[in-house]
Amino acid sequence: MSDQQRVASDEARVVRWGCEHPQVAVQHVARLESICPLPGSGWDVFAQAADPDLAVSRLAQLMDTAFGGAIAEELRSDPQVGSRLVAVLGVSEALADHLIRHPYQWTMIAHAELTRPEALDLRADLLRAVGADPESAEPCAALPEEAALLALRIAYRGSLLGTATRDVALGASLDDVAGELADLADAALAAGLAIARSGLAPDAEPCRFAVIGMGKCGGRELNYVSDVDVIFVAEPLPGGDESGAIKTATRLATGLMRACNAATVEGSLWEVDPALRPEGKQGVLVRTLGSHIDYYERWAKTWEFQALLKARVSAGDSQLGSAYLEAISPMVWRAAEREGFVADVQAMRRRVESNIPVQHAERQLKLGPGGLRDVEFSVQLLQLVHGRSDVMLRSPTTLVALEALATWGYVGLEDASTLGAAYRFLRTLEHRIQIYQLKRTHVVPDAESDLRRIGRSMGFRFDPVTELTQEWRRHSREVRRIHEKLFYRPLLNAVARLGPGEARLTPAAARDRLEALGYVDAVGALRQLEALTSGVSRRAAIQRTLLPVLLGWFADAPDPDSGLLAFRRVSDALGSAPWYLRLLRDESSTAERMARLLSSSKFATNLLLSAPEAVSLLADETELQPRSAWQVRTECEAAAGRAENLHGAAVAVRGVRRREMFRVAAGAVLELTDGEAVGRGLSDIADAAIAATLNAAIRAVEEDLGHELPTRIAIIGMGRLGGAELSFGSDADVMFVHDPQPGIGDKEATDIAMQVVGELRRVLTEPSTEPALDFDADLRPEGKNGPLVRSIASYTAYYERWSAPWESQALVRARVVGGDSALGADFITMVDSLRWPNGGLTSDAIREIRRLKARMEAERLPRGADPTLHTKLGRGGLSDVEWSVQLLQMQHAHKIAGLRTTNTLEALRACVSGGVLAESDAAALSSAWILATRVRDAITLARGNSNDVVPTAGRELGGVAHLLGYLPSERGALVEDYRRVTRRARAVMDRVFYGV
Amino acid sequence: MDKQTDFVLRTIEERDIRFVRLWFTDVLGTLKSVAVAPAELEAAFSEGLGFDGSAIEGFARVHESDMLARPDASTFSVLPWRSEGPGVARMFCDILMPDGSPSYADSRYVLKRTLSRAADLGFSFYTHPEVEFYLFSNSPGDGPPEPIDHYGYFDNSPQRVGADFRRQAITMLEAMGISVEFSHHEGGPGQQEIDLRYADALSTADNLMTFRLVIKEVALEQGLYASFMPKPLNDAPGSGMHTHLSLFEGDRNAFYEAGAPYQLSPIARSFIAGLLTHAPEFTAVTNQWVNSYKRLAAGGEAPAWACWGHNNRSAMVRVPMYKPSKGNSTRVEVRSLDTACNPYLALSVMLAAGLKGIEQGYELPPGAEDDVWALTSAERRALGMRPLPTSLDQAITEMERSELVAETLGEHVFDFFLRNKQAEWDDYRRHVTGWELDRYLPIL
Repeated sequence: MSDQQRVASDEARVVRWGCEHPQVAVQHVARLESICPLPGSGWDVFAQAADPDLAVSRLAQLMDTAFGGAIAEELRSDPQVGSRLVAVLGVSEALADHLIRHPYQWTMIAHAELTRPEALDLRADLLRAVGADPESAEPCAALPEEAALLALRIAYRGSLLGTATRDVALGASLDDVAGELADLADAALAAGLAIARSGLAPDAEPCRFAVIGMGKCGGRELNYVSDVDVIFVAEPLPGGDESGAIKTATRLATGLMRACNAATVEGSLWEVDPALRPEGKQGVLVRTLGSHIDYYERWAKTWEFQALLKARVSAGDSQLGSAYLEAISPMVWRAAEREGFVADVQAMRRRVESNIPVQHAERQLKLGPGGLRDVEFSVQLLQLVHGRSDVMLRSPTTLVALEALATWGYVGLEDASTLGAAYRFLRTLEHRIQIYQLKRTHVVPDAESDLRRIGRSMGFRFDPVTELTQEWRRHSREVRRIHEKLFYRPLLNAVARLGPGEARLTPAAARDRLEALGYVDAVGALRQLEALTSGVSRRAAIQRTLLPVLLGWFADAPDPDSGLLAFRRVSDALGSAPWYLRLLRDESSTAERMARLLSSSKFATNLLLSAPEAVSLLADETELQPRSAWQVRTECEAAAGRAENLHGAAVAVRGVRRREMFRVAAGAVLELTDGEAVGRGLSDIADAAIAATLNAAIRAVEEDLGHELPTRIAIIGMGRLGGAELSFGSDADVMFVHDPQPGIGDKEATDIAMQVVGELRRVLTEPSTEPALDFDADLRPEGKNGPLVRSIASYTAYYERWSAPWESQALVRARVVGGDSALGADFITMVDSLRWPNGGLTSDAIREIRRLKARMEAERLPRGADPTLHTKLGRGGLSDVEWSVQLLQMQHAHKIAGLRTTNTLEALRACVSGGVLAESDAAALSSAWILATRVRDAITLARGNSNDVVPTAGRELGGVAHLLGYLPSERGALVEDYRRVTRRARAVMDRVFYGV
Repeated sequence: MDKQTDFVLRTIEERDIRFVRLWFTDVLGTLKSVAVAPAELEAAFSEGLGFDGSAIEGFARVHESDMLARPDASTFSVLPWRSEGPGVARMFCDILMPDGSPSYADSRYVLKRTLSRAADLGFSFYTHPEVEFYLFSNSPGDGPPEPIDHYGYFDNSPQRVGADFRRQAITMLEAMGISVEFSHHEGGPGQQEIDLRYADALSTADNLMTFRLVIKEVALEQGLYASFMPKPLNDAPGSGMHTHLSLFEGDRNAFYEAGAPYQLSPIARSFIAGLLTHAPEFTAVTNQWVNSYKRLAAGGEAPAWACWGHNNRSAMVRVPMYKPSKGNSTRVEVRSLDTACNPYLALSVMLAAGLKGIEQGYELPPGAEDDVWALTSAERRALGMRPLPTSLDQAITEMERSELVAETLGEHVFDFFLRNKQAEWDDYRRHVTGWELDRYLPIL
């Protein structure tokens, strides 16, 4: 074989092993073979390495140390030694480098056994390393502090070599590895304590001192690198001085923390984090047992009890530690009885789910929905809820607790086993990520080489990157559905027929659980569940799979009970329609939208229940945008045209209107449509319905008459309709105008126009399943006393002779909504000179308008109403803003064309660009107007009917605040915010409108 | 049930308590009380006691009137005075909405909110009030008030009435767990001063509510009448409540910095600057009555301008003489507020003003070294001293414009307070005073 061939075959060999840098690897292998020639394919063991390049280079360096010979000897006699070394050195750069610095620890790898060492032995090893006597009741380090810190780190990593060997080479289970890491942390805490003790002044007051392990350390499910959560407890000796003892204990605690945290040439271990102690970072570091008990009895919050579920004696005085656990543990199991438990838990759940740093959300293992913390949290939550009455559920270890929950029927067996497998997989993945550099991270790296190493270490050999990614995504998907599996699906089992021997949630446990999730009427909820899921129909089968998810969505709303009830009603109405079932089954976003709608809006629910097929709109988000004015109008006209008579036309038009209102309502509830678009959308719908029905009414009257109508009719929108800013549940402000054909007497024409308008009102308001469309024509000349319909000549005469300034002001929002468009245009031209008067308003007119507004403020507000909360007439409410804007419009529109608009927000923008209102003033006015409008819409959406007053308490406030995006814990802030925003608007209004 | 609640229920049993008075405070600072039998107490602890909020000044309107009072077990105390007979105890309450969330109308919640804002910045707020009041030998309605003596500051009167009074009052206060630091005869005839010990702001406010009642009760027992009216006598000083304020970060006084001028840390300087900047806005809260402004107008120990000084008794904010070795005693004394304020609200607005100064890093103007009253108005203007409002009317106008006060009190209390005070001022303006009759009737 030529040299060249030889090189080629050497390179081929390392490439076969999986080396990425064959030339470098070949040199290392040559060096290795010179120190330790192995027969035949002996070195092919490198092919097993997670990262063969790393394993080759580090093993070569290791063999170069003084221990090379001894290692070579064992390598030759025991092939197992080679594969162990290669497995550890090929997975962890940090451990490999440690070993090269301290090569004598190679036996930790070579002689490791699968059975993990006893916790006591680990403790003894680390104590001896710092020169402390493990047998002593209070071991004290003999080494000086600096040397002790180094010795502790070296010995700790030495033990870690053994753990890593069991983990990556010997196939130890995740449970064992995580448990051993916790034991090792305990041992390090004990050694740290010994170091701290050696630093005490000789005359320090003696004390008893214990370290309580919390979090993953407490649960014996620790990572390679993570903060070790602890709580410190201390007591004076009998008859000793308490404050002195606490002082000593505080020194011990800080010394212990320094011993673990401090950075040295050998690095540091991990952060010891005492933040879970009473009062958190503000609290004193060490407390006596009595002080702990006091705190937890009086002040502790629900999450603190959840944290205490993991408490365990980690180091120090074990009797004191046990006394602590004995006193505190019972309180944990009473936490669910505490007031506010449900609200606390829901707030905690939201925190767990929302706490994601966005840049890594996709690759996070720990945080976010479906992250490891979510699994741990969910298991703990079930433990708190059910562990109160069932002692079998009280393990501090997540996987053990999960198994117990499954065994005793609180969680489905199969769900628990898939979740358990996913949790094990994700934790193992996390371990393999961390072990490489011994860095605390929970983010899956995205570099190909990292993924390859991690994948190979987890046994994916063929295409490690793809296989690993697929497995990871598969398990993540399972975990993302954790709430469905853990919380809700067992509730269905509670009301289902189960196979013999299968455990199920007892009715009492089901009630506990529903209440913990926010359902008030748990008995009723169980009844709905039973009705929805019993039977063998296809509907029941689909609902069985769907409900666990729906229940969670309902629970996120302020009134889960009515969401569930509404779902049952929809299901009763549509349940057997195949398209409905298909929609629910295939489009999970449809089901989610429906759940959110049903549990937060009575208005939308009522619209839906009167014609449930509108559910189909929910399938597609783009379907929930308001349709264009033209589309709605065309459909209304076509529907009315197809009808046989006026009644039929009205029914058809009102049906279209109901469906379009549902579309807008759903868009508003699901936050797809903003307030301005809602106003415009609702106005377009009203316009279309009025115009189409008017035409149908004209046709009907013409049919009666047997000839064409002797007059043209137009409908003018006023108020919010005219402004194209209608709310849910507001009436349509209108005026009716007509213009007799030449030669027709005014009286005759008016009578016929009245007949048309009368028919129009009748058919739009007559009782029906479709919501009525009511007119309000009070803004017409002479108000309620004036004729409902006038000819344009009569309007012109009236406004020329009698009109008061406020009537001109009301005309600011006049806009044609239907009927004869030429007549409408004539009317608008006629009123333009009134509402945009040449030269602006006279000072008399301004004074008159101001006086009228002042009188309205005094008189129109209902008795006893709180002016700061009345959205329409209250301080800084709609009327304040609108009058301010309209006054500016009337003063300046003659020279600023942009002000000639009927829309309040548009007019405000034009005021700013026209220079008649400061930008900050306009902002104050428009935020108040928008907020008041949103609140009014939310009130109608939540309760199903309108109300002018911001709710201040109870479910009503809860529902409105939810729709406006407030969390349950901060719903009182809605009232505060409303008052603040409107107070500011009123200050602007005082200046702009009243000139104060 | 927590341990504190347990303790309360046990004590009620052991000490044969027949009634428990549940106390809370309306928006104007008047103590409200509702008595419950011990049997009802357990329910009151868990669910709160329902009452009609519309009957309480500033709480609620008729249509939303259901409210709950939930006793705070840590404030349990047996009432020591005879008029209550044996076996009566009291607790302060938090006011809740029917759904259990705190009510924005509750002054105690206003203070709790402000304190938690301070806690978010890492501060706890400690206060120490010096309460002045008058003892009269006749009750209101029995002609002009007659002081019990004609002695002055620190006088040791041979009649001993005042001293006896103070001794009994202090005994009673101590019996209720309220520590007294200091007490003496004040400058006016019959005027007394009792200083409460340093405490966190919430306890101070609770203690002041108790204090005012105890003083009134003891006076009644001795056939006297005690009044916290800010300026009851034309020719004698008014009754103020100089209040010492300090912020702590953990165990460390955040106002102290060794070696700085007057040992004031930058935090303290910004805090004072905040108080001065916002003083005109919050005066309506610290001095809430028409009569409060008669005290501020009288000069002497009462300040009328927003300025500060080291040991300057004419300045609104005084930095007391620093005692070496007592770094933790560094504090500032606000001298404008009077005893007739709502202590929850007054402490809240002062704290909020100081915090605002800290957050925004306000610069502290130079301190006043002279007697501020002796300066001419041009001099004061030159020194940048702004006057405090001279009437309730002015104070209302200043407060109306204040975002800080609105945010601190919350919109509900802010709105009610302004409306109520405006009504008080309107009422006062319509009244023809004795001064006018004396002065004008003879000549006009």
